[in-house]
Amino acid sequence: MIAVGLGVATVAFAGRYAFHLWKPLEQAITEAAKRVSASSLSLYYKGGFEQKMSRREASLILGVSPSAGKAKIRTAHRRIMILNHPDKGGSPYLATKINEAKDLLESTAKN
Amino acid sequence: AASRAAADARGRSERPQSAAASRIIGISLQEAQQILNVSNLNAEEIQKNYDHLFKVNDKSVGGSFYLQSKVVRAKERLDEELRIQAKDEKEKGWKAET
Repeated sequence: MIAVGLGVATVAFAGRYAFHLWKPLEQAITEAAKRVSASSLSLYYKGGFEQKMSRREASLILGVSPSAGKAKIRTAHRRIMILNHPDKGGSPYLATKINEAKDLLESTAKN
Repeated sequence: AASRAAADARGRSERPQSAAASRIIGISLQEAQQILNVSNLNAEEIQKNYDHLFKVNDKSVGGSFYLQSKVVRAKERLDEELRIQAKDEKEKGWKAET
């Protein structure tokens, strides 16, 4: 899978950029891919956040079941937010995501 | 907001290696910076924020593994960018000497 991706990426880049840029770029891509597939990182979820947050992602952010009730959502939100509070060295961007997750799950929660 | 950020990242001119890194690791440079709350690519600041965010989102303290994963991927992306920059600077140095 990765080989195919690398192949496609290489061809794409070869087409776009001058030939003298291609070889070092190809090497850089191969080296980056090797680093990324290192086993120590493979346990973690891949990639960044979704472009538009889904209920699935929201439940993963708060560490609750997608069918959690409002009380559980609020408790989880409080806990995760306290840990990530921007006033205590947390990241404002992550705080936004955490709040977004709570809003999304609460709006679709049954109870 | 996230989709806007992604569009911004695509619009800005990037080194080809940076674009490749974003694609392979699956996270844009801009989002990686936002996650770790770093405005410049300062290795010390990156490490400091990463250490804090990794720790507070650990499962053992009731944190979210998903959030911890994003922190890890952000660090990974920024490390790659630092590597690309260092290599670029090195090569510029060689060219300047010739």
